[in-house]
Amino acid sequence: MSHVYDLYYKAFETLRRMREIKSVEDNEQYCKVVSETLREHLTVIPRLAMGVLECQDLMRPEEMDKFMNTLLRSVGSLKLQHAQTLILLQRISRRVIAEQHLALTETFNSPWHFPNAKSQIDPNSEFVGEVFLRCNAREVVEACWNRASTLAKEAYGSSCILPGIRIEGHLDATFPYILSHLQYVIGELLRNSIQAVVERRCVSTDGPQPIEVLICEAPQHVIIRISDQGGGIPNEVMPELWSFSKGPRSQTHLSNLSQVPKMAATMEELKLPDPSSDKSIVSDGNKKRSYDGSLGSLTSRPPNLRLGMGLPMSRVYAEYWAGLLELHSLEGYGVDAFLQISKLGNKNEQLSTRASMDAV
Amino acid sequence: MTRHGRPPLSASTLFTSANFTLSLLPIRLAHRIQALRNLPFIVVSNPHISRIYNIYIHSLSTLLPYQERQINTLEDEIQFTEVMADLVQTHAETIPILARGFLECRKYISPADVTKFLDEHLRARVGTRLIAEQHIALHLSSQPHCSGNNQYVQDGSSTSIGVIDTALRPAETVRQCESFVSEICELKYGVRPTVIINGQPNTRLAHVPTHLEYILRELLKNAFRATVESGKEREPIEVTIAASPDPSPSPPAPIQLDPVTAPSQGDAITANAPPGVTIRIRDHGGGISPENLPNIWAYSFTTFGDEELLDLSNGNVDALNAISGANGGSSSLAGLGYGLPLGRAYAEHFGGSIVVQSLWGWGTDVYLKLRGLGKM
Repeated sequence: MSHVYDLYYKAFETLRRMREIKSVEDNEQYCKVVSETLREHLTVIPRLAMGVLECQDLMRPEEMDKFMNTLLRSVGSLKLQHAQTLILLQRISRRVIAEQHLALTETFNSPWHFPNAKSQIDPNSEFVGEVFLRCNAREVVEACWNRASTLAKEAYGSSCILPGIRIEGHLDATFPYILSHLQYVIGELLRNSIQAVVERRCVSTDGPQPIEVLICEAPQHVIIRISDQGGGIPNEVMPELWSFSKGPRSQTHLSNLSQVPKMAATMEELKLPDPSSDKSIVSDGNKKRSYDGSLGSLTSRPPNLRLGMGLPMSRVYAEYWAGLLELHSLEGYGVDAFLQISKLGNKNEQLSTRASMDAV
Repeated sequence: MTRHGRPPLSASTLFTSANFTLSLLPIRLAHRIQALRNLPFIVVSNPHISRIYNIYIHSLSTLLPYQERQINTLEDEIQFTEVMADLVQTHAETIPILARGFLECRKYISPADVTKFLDEHLRARVGTRLIAEQHIALHLSSQPHCSGNNQYVQDGSSTSIGVIDTALRPAETVRQCESFVSEICELKYGVRPTVIINGQPNTRLAHVPTHLEYILRELLKNAFRATVESGKEREPIEVTIAASPDPSPSPPAPIQLDPVTAPSQGDAITANAPPGVTIRIRDHGGGISPENLPNIWAYSFTTFGDEELLDLSNGNVDALNAISGANGGSSSLAGLGYGLPLGRAYAEHFGGSIVVQSLWGWGTDVYLKLRGLGKM
């Protein structure tokens, strides 16, 4: 916990000292600082989670949950004064702003240095920074499914038959969203479902029932429903489903967290993620990430590394953009997960207490 | 409710049940009277509401003399039970009458206040009626002298304990409600959607059949209406029945199943209650719009046409009769806005729940969870 505190303190000090950005060189310098900070902060989430688990006995679980939720959503009041950017949204969180800024800077670096090559920028570019303008729900689900299946196959061995997937509904639903967030949430839900079905099948004799995904598009939002027949969640567990610190298996989770890649203190162990992992569905080869996606390591962890925070984290990400994540359990049968996401641009982000967070 | 044992009960147990019932009812009636008194004066002056008020006063005054003495003889008990049966009958139409009254008074009291009052009142009513009906049923099934066609006669193979059926098969209830609702639907719209039951259809549950019937009927009414009105009558409504697996055996604790403690009826069920059932009803009827969603649990909120509701002076009683619990009768498919909140009151009475998940633009999923009622 104190490591995290130090990280934030250092970041604050560094950023505080930066001058207002008035030129491109300033921006370059700024970007460098920001990306360094981002790399250092990659370990924040796992470390925070560890800290929370270790401190279970010292603080009441409800306060702990509140703390985690607030922290994950909190806003920096960085107002980007970048002259060339097309700023899309209102205030967004530190990481999203930061990553966004870096991505946009990259976009404009080339034409800035080579003014004649402006025409190379595709006006219909699919990405505006981090936001993928044309997230197609079905493609995202399929991509996440493939990734989750691969991981599951590795973990459970090839003798285990995985359930199939069936996607129906408004298959053409397309909307702008932050791809990595969406992939993380859907990935987590699919992983949970696969896990439940596989582990239940050990006791039943029929082939596994497919996991059903329904995509439903409405003017203001898109709903993705994931239904599995994995046996459901027992009633005793339900109240603690969304908590970071409670739960019967928190000890196991604690020890597992230390095995998440990029947890180690030394930065040398960081390696760039597999370029196909974060952009598996985008064929636009021009854009290349020179920094790490924050969710990359979590998304690609092996399935037997149970961290116990997939659901609460997913909910934070879902609700951040004025969305919803809800789970309904049919105990003895399966679980239905409902992810509702607002199409970006309509609503402000939901931060728990904006006033207090932005107050100077 | 099951603590008195399986009928036929011995005389002394019957007396215990009677005295137990007697101890509870007057207090409950008194609370209801008090709640009615706390409504705005102009609301209670409404003829329908004041009629209900007077019925309650009359009931209380009928029961009070019995309180002064214990019931120790068979004839006392028979007389008491008859009085109770009479009361149950008199109060049977409370809901439609109250509904009518509040509808007429909507200028004088806010919907939020109506919901608050009705929520408390109707939930209390569920419990009170249950206690009364249970005693009556136990009494009737313990009749030492029984005529051949007494429907309450219990033989060794009966699964009923008064109004509770310990071997209730929800799938069967679903089919019964389906046929009931299908008929009304066909009458009104000319088509009837189909219902598919999957999951574990042979599940059995110990519960009160009339409650389950009410809830399922209302939920199916909603699903049918949505399905037909969005033109998707070819799409089946999917009902999934899931039985929670038996909990790991723990030392049997005495099971107190009286839904008596008025403040927290659900808490009276201990954690050792037998496994329950989750029923999911999925329709493809377009869902509930975000504007309507916050209001679905309010009493008198309905998306049904307003013209029908206001047509009360014509004695459009059929629509109102639709929601009174016991009698089916010919009824409209929807319209009074009581189905969901009252259904939830029934479900939550024994620690269950109803959760509605709308997929606006596609359909609605409803999750009904019910607990089993005690082991013998």
